[in-house]
Amino acid sequence: MSLSFAQQENIGFRYIVDALRCDSPYGDARVRKLRFYAPHERDALLADLKNICAVMDTLKPCAAEYGRIERLMMQLKDIRRSVARCEEGPLNEVELFELKRFLLQSELIAPVFAQINAEARLEGIEIRAQSEALALLDLDGQHAATFFIPDAYSQTLRAVRKEKRQVEEALRRAGSETERAPLMAERARLAAAEDEEERAVRAALSEKLRPFLTGILSCMDAIGAFDFTLARARLAQRYGGVMPELTENTLEMEDMVNPRIADALQERKREFTPVSIEAGKGATVITGANMGGKSVALKTIALNALALSAGMLPFAKRARLPLFAGIHIVSEDLENVDRGLSSFGAEIVRFNEVLAACGLGDGAGKPEGIHMILLDEFARGTNPEEGAMIVRAVTRYLNRQNVMAVLTTHYDGVAQEASLHYEVVGLRDMDTVRVKGEIALASPEQGADVIASHMNYGLYRVTREQGCPRDARNICRLLSLSDEILRDIETDAGNIARKCE
Amino acid sequence: MLLLPLIEPYRSLSIIGMCKNAGKTTVLNSILSEMGTTGKTLGLTSIGRDGESVDVVTQTHKPGIYVREGTLIATALEMLKYCDISREIVETTGFPTPLGEVVLVRARSDGNVQLAGPSITAQLAKLSGMFFSLGADVAIVDGALSRKTLCAPAVSEATILCTGASYSRDIDTVIEDTAFATLLLTLPEQADFSEEERAACPGKALFRMEDGTLRALPQELQLADALRSQAYAGVRAVYVAGAVTDALLKPVLMAGKRFDELTLSAEDGSKLLIHQDTYDKLLLRGISLAVARATRVAAITVNPFSAYGFDLDKEELRSRMQARVRVPVINVLEDLNLEDMAWRADDRARIAAREEAEQNADHSHCCGNEEITL
Repeated sequence: MSLSFAQQENIGFRYIVDALRCDSPYGDARVRKLRFYAPHERDALLADLKNICAVMDTLKPCAAEYGRIERLMMQLKDIRRSVARCEEGPLNEVELFELKRFLLQSELIAPVFAQINAEARLEGIEIRAQSEALALLDLDGQHAATFFIPDAYSQTLRAVRKEKRQVEEALRRAGSETERAPLMAERARLAAAEDEEERAVRAALSEKLRPFLTGILSCMDAIGAFDFTLARARLAQRYGGVMPELTENTLEMEDMVNPRIADALQERKREFTPVSIEAGKGATVITGANMGGKSVALKTIALNALALSAGMLPFAKRARLPLFAGIHIVSEDLENVDRGLSSFGAEIVRFNEVLAACGLGDGAGKPEGIHMILLDEFARGTNPEEGAMIVRAVTRYLNRQNVMAVLTTHYDGVAQEASLHYEVVGLRDMDTVRVKGEIALASPEQGADVIASHMNYGLYRVTREQGCPRDARNICRLLSLSDEILRDIETDAGNIARKCE
Repeated sequence: MLLLPLIEPYRSLSIIGMCKNAGKTTVLNSILSEMGTTGKTLGLTSIGRDGESVDVVTQTHKPGIYVREGTLIATALEMLKYCDISREIVETTGFPTPLGEVVLVRARSDGNVQLAGPSITAQLAKLSGMFFSLGADVAIVDGALSRKTLCAPAVSEATILCTGASYSRDIDTVIEDTAFATLLLTLPEQADFSEEERAACPGKALFRMEDGTLRALPQELQLADALRSQAYAGVRAVYVAGAVTDALLKPVLMAGKRFDELTLSAEDGSKLLIHQDTYDKLLLRGISLAVARATRVAAITVNPFSAYGFDLDKEELRSRMQARVRVPVINVLEDLNLEDMAWRADDRARIAAREEAEQNADHSHCCGNEEITL
């Protein structure tokens, strides 16, 4: 994927990855090495997502079975390296023990999985008990959870152990060191012979196991796939995941959630306002008040798009979106200024890289699938006159390309260059008198909190050109910026309005 | 049958040494052999590595550990090849050591084992639990070089302390230092702080004031600063959450203040890492030491023979040691009579050769210092 680790962290993607709780090391391995689906893999993605939904639907009716299979999976160890070593040569006794443990566990897991699968009907996941391989290692047929080569397994072993036992019994009776020494020497000789025979038995066992290794590995793989699916289903259940409809180049998201931000707000006893937005090919612009959550909206879009390509259900009430070929964010606070560039310079360099990655810009090849480009307050670091010109031009350019671009901006006149324009509801519907009263009661440093509690973080679609936004001025007024400055701002606003007319 | 009656009441036991070659393995073998006749199942491990037939530090002969059939052993993967018992692999623990993961093995025959268990106290405590759930009646942890943390009550209910001529050429030093170690291990239990209070201790120390109130040592203050300040004038007892060291107590003593019956307690005897000198000064200043959880020392064993080529008088050592402590004192080689002494000539020749090579090395007190650093 095209997002750096810091960006994944920033949009809340690492947070949901960390929230995935697998029970087995095989599931954990899938979380550690997440697979991102490419546009041509949409059928595989859909099958994967359907499996998650099927698990979600059966979590309640099969709660007991899920609980049981989770406990069984928790006891597994990752022994894929031992299995790989078995291809090459004989395993040692601890490796054979661990393999036997796994095989025993597969016999316990398989029937519980079958019960679950009778309801869930998962596609492409089948956990089979590895009974034939187990029969090889269950040397005494006791199904014991330990590994020991019994006397009965080999004539030589039986003979050596019998002789050794006699020496050991003599040793128990022996009193003095002079009596013990020759016995100890004899015992050492027999122990070496026993060891050699055990080694031969282990080599033969490893040899016999070889035809079953592929089956054992696919069993581990299936457990990993099921475990990972279950973890994603539990995550979706916790934060409200939904089966998306995959589109070519339109995005319609209703009530999207960003789990990381939602949890952080909940800790402060506040609620996350779900984000609903539509976007298509070209540029979509989000404008609105400071503190209004434009960046949160952008992060939430990025998170859900990225979650989808990582095989997770989007966190929303309803989701229609493409499987993007790439997701890119340009945000000043995430740019690396180590390259000796100013933050503005770094932003431009990064934007160029993004265009190239999307198959745009000079000399780029034809891209496969549609890319998403998210620009958070692009060019905010430069002077406002030029900044506005740059963003307008960038918006016009992106609007012509085969990409889905979403921009947040403060600058004037950008929205009319875009296909779609959203604005944060912000303080539009606020009862100014009431808020002013609340601020008066609160301590000076709590003023911003009071405003935040009245801020409507929802987005609304702007269909006609509306007058100059007033939210920033409202905030200044509520937070009691000096009257002299406020009066001056209003005079200026009046002048600008007259000039426009 | 000398050790058995002394250790019979305990379910878990540790064996610690004042130094190397104090006779720990001899004691362990004696226990293994005595217990073998009782039909009890033993769980056996060590802290770190032990059980080599030649001591890796001093290159002297060491008796191997010989277990009975049925014994459970926890040792590192790499050590299994040196265990010539018939092995049944019972469990893997996930505890890593430099010699591989610690594995639980059941001895399906008598034989020699080499132990290399975990060196983390919490893992040793967990291992004991695993032994018991697998059917062991008694768990024994063999200590490596002066690992006193072993005798922490969390790991074992009782301890056997091994000492001997290898500790020092000077019999007085052997006896005094061993008696002092025993004294620290067997300090009385404190009664000033409840288990809940200790568990919730927010900082480095707790104070019980004369009026019964509880106060914690503020993060920015050192123990000595607090004890010197007027604000803590009414302290009746102090509990130190971590290790009690000479470095911690020196500033307290330097303050020159005289306390009136102040009790200073640590979690258990393994947390007291102080010299006799410090201890004596504490007493003079009116500070007495105590522990939250007392250790039982089941026995002290003495080994009059040194690996470094000199012997102490066996009867003098045993009887003088016994006169200094209330714990039973046993002479390992004499009373337990397990090994004959044929290997000793070899060892001495080897050591003489080496000592010649390392003329500057002073072996007279080679292990006494390690005692303190742990």
